[in-house]
Amino acid sequence: MSTADSTYDVIIVGAGLGGGIAAGVLAEAGQRVLLLERGRDLRYRDIPGDHLRHHRLSLYGDNTTQEPAGHPRVFVDPEGRSRTVFPHEADYHNNALTVGGGARIWGMQAWRFHPDDFRMASRYGTPAGSSLADWPISYADLAPFYERAEHEVGVAGDHTATDYAPRDRAFPLPPVPATPTGAWLARGAATLGWNAFTPPLAVNTTPYLGRAACVQCRQCIGFACPTDARNGSHNTLLPRALATGRCTLITRAHVARVLTDASGRAHGVEYFAPTAPNSAQTERRIAHATTIILAGGAIETARLLLLSASPQHPRGLGNHSDHVGRHLQGHYYPVVSGLLPAGFQNPNHGPGVSIATTQFNHGNPGIIGGAMLANDFVKLPIIFWRSHLPPDLPRWGSANKKAMRELYLRGIDLRGPVQEIPSPNSRVTLDPQVRDRFGLPVARLSGTTHPETLRTAEFIRARAEDWLRAAGAERVWSSPMDLRLSASQHQAGTARLAADPRDGVTDPFGRVHGHDNLWITDGSLHVTNGGFNPALTIMALAFRAAAKIAATT
Amino acid sequence: MPLTPPQLEALRALLDRLIPVDEFPGALATGTDQFILQLLTHTCAVEAPAIAQSLTHLDAEASARHDQPFAALPTAAQDALISDLEHNRTATPWPATFPAAAFINRLIDLTAEGFYADPANGGNRDGASWRMIGYDPLLPARPSAP
Repeated sequence: MSTADSTYDVIIVGAGLGGGIAAGVLAEAGQRVLLLERGRDLRYRDIPGDHLRHHRLSLYGDNTTQEPAGHPRVFVDPEGRSRTVFPHEADYHNNALTVGGGARIWGMQAWRFHPDDFRMASRYGTPAGSSLADWPISYADLAPFYERAEHEVGVAGDHTATDYAPRDRAFPLPPVPATPTGAWLARGAATLGWNAFTPPLAVNTTPYLGRAACVQCRQCIGFACPTDARNGSHNTLLPRALATGRCTLITRAHVARVLTDASGRAHGVEYFAPTAPNSAQTERRIAHATTIILAGGAIETARLLLLSASPQHPRGLGNHSDHVGRHLQGHYYPVVSGLLPAGFQNPNHGPGVSIATTQFNHGNPGIIGGAMLANDFVKLPIIFWRSHLPPDLPRWGSANKKAMRELYLRGIDLRGPVQEIPSPNSRVTLDPQVRDRFGLPVARLSGTTHPETLRTAEFIRARAEDWLRAAGAERVWSSPMDLRLSASQHQAGTARLAADPRDGVTDPFGRVHGHDNLWITDGSLHVTNGGFNPALTIMALAFRAAAKIAATT
Repeated sequence: MPLTPPQLEALRALLDRLIPVDEFPGALATGTDQFILQLLTHTCAVEAPAIAQSLTHLDAEASARHDQPFAALPTAAQDALISDLEHNRTATPWPATFPAAAFINRLIDLTAEGFYADPANGGNRDGASWRMIGYDPLLPARPSAP
């Protein structure tokens, strides 16, 4: 073991949205922060614009994973067969591995959850076999921190239209420009009597916080932003943390365990890091701190809690009630495709998402929860070819080529993140056999979402079809969905908030029950994951936890 | 080179039918064969032996029906044969581990990937397919991001 040994006020594991925000808040509050990130600090030019290797289509790799072979996972399918999977495979449930995390390549939808998303069990009851529960906090508890995230990270939106969640302040940036397809969909929504509006996106629609505006390119989601107009912690709170001189960022650092004493107090972490910034050699190190924060995403945070078992905590930290790693969830995404009327000239302005409805997030007869529905990003040609041509078309030959030519600019699709009904059996455990390059057991993913999720997804799919038909789509098609495990970029739920230690892993602020100075600031905390993209909620919880830590240490 | 000369000839003839030339260039003229060869040499090298063997089966299938290798067949006969492969309707034995339909579906995917992905992947030379369908990534000439 290396003798490198150092002491900080705070150690944060993971420099994604939640970790970067905690670093900014705490460093500015005067604390000395060690921020450990397993990825590199990738620049724009380091994240290739490869249409076959990015975070929406990762056929042969992705554009942020640097060491794909050294960090496999094990996936167990619904029939119980397990296999080793690598980061570019769907069953790995990957997120971008870089400073900034998923926000380097995300679609930027920055939604507040609906007030009823925090009280799903109270509103709907808990279906048998599910672990559907209320959050121990309400929308009102989180609202001030949603506002901070919107202003300090930067969200563009229309505050007059997003009325499902009460707000005190307008968005700091004007909404993304209306598009012809958005206007066409708005007319369709109006004929149905639905409220549709411009969704909130964390993008600079005008220059903001010292960075340029979006240039509306057509290579957006899954890729790095050429003008740095896509907002996340990497270009806001993290630079603020580093500017204090009190935050040390170490990249390619893999945390092996959180060190705890007999009382359960966390006093440090053991990690592997390069011997020098660009070295291939790694060494084992120990760092100590008064406060430890985990922000590695719902899969790796759960794995780290389990890897940190000790004689006093033989089942892993925070795992007194067997909740660590359980309730793993993401979002089911029904996708409905169609064709714009012949002659419709779609100019395909980027990013592409320009209209949404929250008409079906709640209050659907006989259905638990629901989803926001929105149009999608400008499609890459190869993604359009793979997934959005009419299903009865030949897959090859002149007819296929002609259809690509005639239909590419007429493609339209709607999709929405269906709020999952969590299952305790959808989970992260430690694999008994497969190890990573440091000899540590890898994450083993098993189980599926609860079948109620499928009912909600089917309901939402039907509403998306209604919308395209009402708008006047020439054809509309979609496919039913299967029961499966869901996590991926929206991974959540594996260390959920709970007032009572018997019901979850952390207290209502994100502090691990039984470990007074061990905190979590990522999607693991989400009791349920909302019928919305979860990033703004991750950010709000991170602002809230960091403010609490700053006020009490 | 993961393929023998006859296998390469069969591959090129196949690509020429999967995305044929019309008023716009097809897969062959835009470098899709190079994209596939590069993939089979590097990232997908593990697949190369099965695909190479299948290209030999393709010629055997053509010979069994028409006494000529696939590349020498008229286009109508080539297209009919491809349709049959999609449905595993074969006159010669194909391996159970990689049946005719699996082979042709993989080649259909690879051809489209080469033809419609970014030119840096080796196919879609000069962005020919993107011009055909009306796609331009519109990336700024000088990215201002760090």
